[in-house]
Amino acid sequence: MIAHDLLMSMPLVQLASANGLPYSIPIHPNLVHLTLGLFIVAIAFDIVAALYPLGKPIFKFLAIPVVSSDLYDVGWFNMVAAAIITFFTVAAGFYEIILAEPSDDVLSPWGLSASDTMVWHGVGGVLLLALIVGMTLWRGFQRYVWRVDRARQVQWVYLLAGLGIFALMFLQGTLGAHLGSDFGIHITADRLLREGVDPNTYLNVLINPFNF
Amino acid sequence: MLENLLPPLNDHNLPYPDTLHPIVVHFVIAMVLFAVLCDAIAYFTKNTRLFEVGWWNMVFATVSIFIAIIFGQIEAGLATPYAAAAQTLNIHSLIGWSLSALLASITGWRYIIRLRDAQSLPKAYMGFNLVLTLVVFVQVYLGDKLVWVYGLHSAPVVEAARGGLL
Repeated sequence: MIAHDLLMSMPLVQLASANGLPYSIPIHPNLVHLTLGLFIVAIAFDIVAALYPLGKPIFKFLAIPVVSSDLYDVGWFNMVAAAIITFFTVAAGFYEIILAEPSDDVLSPWGLSASDTMVWHGVGGVLLLALIVGMTLWRGFQRYVWRVDRARQVQWVYLLAGLGIFALMFLQGTLGAHLGSDFGIHITADRLLREGVDPNTYLNVLINPFNF
Repeated sequence: MLENLLPPLNDHNLPYPDTLHPIVVHFVIAMVLFAVLCDAIAYFTKNTRLFEVGWWNMVFATVSIFIAIIFGQIEAGLATPYAAAAQTLNIHSLIGWSLSALLASITGWRYIIRLRDAQSLPKAYMGFNLVLTLVVFVQVYLGDKLVWVYGLHSAPVVEAARGGLL
């Protein structure tokens, strides 16, 4: 039975190209988890640290011992990690944009064609990479040069800039969602449907040899 | 009759514009993986301040996973999975709930360790960090399949399902 299943999985190579990529699952959306999670949490912890006098009773109620400099550490190290990983997020994104075959017969909920959405998402990606790296440098100067002796380790305007970048990330993320779930770019089932193939029969056997 | 009281569903079969579960899971995936990385660096280099970074990321991940499950259940309920996708969705749900128990337990354990000694972690804890990482990877892989292979909640799949083609 296992031998049979293995045999059935042989056309996986052919199937991997059914999504237009040389592998079965896109890499960019997975790296996006890391970029967004790390950046947003970095800013969030700096905000909590800066407002520490207000939050103190809450930590006390939860019986969690806190030193505000530890919260600032999260703000710094998460931001550094976000900056490093985002180079890979953008690189993978451009690779998968190059391999996309958008059809421009439908418009997104924002009235853009698939090609236009890809252009805006690509521009947005480079812009956000620059902003994240810039924020990391800014944070580094505050941490090691400008505010070494201050109790509040970050400037208010830095936190405000972080919130502004959240807004840009929302726009960028929505464009990315349009590319996937509206235009079906690199989604195997959507591409099969467009070619008139029933994903039910096709995916069941080929991509699911172990029914997992 | 009752369905008239519910908000109308869009072409993703959702009462709001786009799926929210894949967004909330940013804060589980990224925070768990980064916490494990920070713990590992601190463990092997004795840079103990990174233990605190690991702990706070675990706290954030633990709060987030329950929000992720709430939206996950709502969106799984509206996914109308076709036969080929159903098994993956079931296993993703099962591992998701299990992962919340695993993650909350490890974070609770970490809370006690941190109260007693915030400067070091036992070897067993590092082992559980490894297990946690593996489960997260499996869970991400299954979620990826639901979105990128089966296309659940994508407009073309919803359209085909409504047209009786799936």
